[in-house]
Amino acid sequence: MTAWLEIKDLKASVDDKDILNGLNMTVNEGEVHAVMGPNGAGKSTLFNVLCGNPHYRVTGGEVLFKGKNLLDMSVDERAHEGVFLAFQLPVEIPGISMATFMKYALNAGRRAKGMKDFDAVGYMKHVKVRSKALGVTDEMLKRPVNVGFSGGEKKRMEMFQMAVLEPSLCMVDEMDSGLDVDALKVVADAINVMRAADRSFMLISHNRRFLESVGVDKVHVLVKGKVVKTGGRDLLEELTSFAAYQEAE
Amino acid sequence: MADVSKTVSAPLYSDGAESIRAEAGRTAVVVDRAPAAKCSVVVEKGASLLHYRFCGGTDAAVDAVVEEGGKYEVLTLQTAGGNVGMTVSLAGSGASCRSDAVYVLSGGEKGSFVSKVAHNADDTVSSQLIKGAVAGTAEETFEGTVLIPPGHKGIDGAQQHRALLLSPTATVMAVPRLEIYSDDVKCAHGSAVGDLDEYQLYYLQTRGIGEEEAKKVLVGAFLNEVTDGIFDETLKAEFAKRIEAALPF
Ligand SMILES: Nc1ncnc2c1ncn2[C@@H]1O[C@H](COP(=O)(O)OP(=O)(O)O)[C@@H](O)[C@H]1O
Ligand SMILES: [Mg+2]
Repeated sequence: MTAWLEIKDLKASVDDKDILNGLNMTVNEGEVHAVMGPNGAGKSTLFNVLCGNPHYRVTGGEVLFKGKNLLDMSVDERAHEGVFLAFQLPVEIPGISMATFMKYALNAGRRAKGMKDFDAVGYMKHVKVRSKALGVTDEMLKRPVNVGFSGGEKKRMEMFQMAVLEPSLCMVDEMDSGLDVDALKVVADAINVMRAADRSFMLISHNRRFLESVGVDKVHVLVKGKVVKTGGRDLLEELTSFAAYQEAE
Repeated sequence: MADVSKTVSAPLYSDGAESIRAEAGRTAVVVDRAPAAKCSVVVEKGASLLHYRFCGGTDAAVDAVVEEGGKYEVLTLQTAGGNVGMTVSLAGSGASCRSDAVYVLSGGEKGSFVSKVAHNADDTVSSQLIKGAVAGTAEETFEGTVLIPPGHKGIDGAQQHRALLLSPTATVMAVPRLEIYSDDVKCAHGSAVGDLDEYQLYYLQTRGIGEEEAKKVLVGAFLNEVTDGIFDETLKAEFAKRIEAALPF
């Protein structure tokens, strides 16, 4: 296994407030990692910094993705490299349907690889296989992006976008919070189906059952912007409460 | 004069028309790609007129009278400077009017959209959705008056104006004006001018869509709300094409 993502001493701030304080983490090709830790530890910030969210300022450290300097790239370039974030709170975009949105996204990715845009038939085929598998109806594809969707539907649509774009680093931010058992299964199934030797996952979750159903390889505990503990699956059992970690700081 | 004495469902192209009359009980669709400085419109009793105007660079005013039970729907696109305007008199009971508009200005263009809708009879209904995008150092002034003189009942008037500023040096001045002198009136109005939503922009970029294209997609989605309802697909596509061409990216 080769290192897919290497995060070295990463520091980041927002509005002059330090949030990531020298974070180290390595994710190998094909692995599934859980990122846990108390609220406000900086988990979502980490994912957004890796995506290049301009709201966050990187103040130190280095991130290599497949050997390339990720921090030098624009947000869309990172996506073309295979970085994907399933948002905890996806934004609503009135006036554009999910089907059209994904067409723009797919074609932008294809152009970056020097490929031609999808033709209408090729595009429909690519989308239909995935929408069917994830229980995304035609009506949902025609609706404006995330507008009028329930919490569960929004998360399903995030998983759908992940399936359509076939990223190589899937960061999934609290997909499991606030979902009922059925919706949770959709998310877990989507991840399990997409698991591949050349695709890694980072999952923010507090839900032990969800993480077990996905079968994580490694578990990281984040506290105050640092990884304070890394272990295997068995670490899940220990983590009934993050309070201890917060106090130890 | 545009010949709309027959009932037509397909658009009739009538560039530079100085007068349009929809005869009693008829339905007409008129497209004007080079509106005259002044065009007078009469919608006779029970007639319906759909009126599409592509304005840009020159002044173009409409002076319309809608008789009893008549229905006037006018959609104006302004893609360059100049003073565009309309006055509509809902002169007979049950007359209605929808006077929507889209404006897109860039560079150093200066434009205005001035409308005045007068409810001069009982049970008249008016609605107006104006959306704009302004870039560079362009300036747009929107002045929208809804006038309800004393002594009328059953009036319903709605006006919404929304604009996006695509650069820090672009300006939009909005002067919505409700002049209500009757009691039995329903009137809703609102105006908002703001920047592109950074979170939406980021969301699109995380899916691999480059910044410029993402802006184009978002502005298009924003303005689409006005043109979405156009019944004729060719005409709708022409609006979309002209809007896209007028955007600075
Ligand atoms: N966009 C932002 N603006 C201001 N503060 C933020 C922003 N994002 C995160 N923070 C702050 O950074 C800290 C870490 O937040 P976050 O990364 O969301 O934590 P977690 O996902 O671990 O709960 C919190 O104190 C939060 O208030
Ligand atoms: Mg979070």
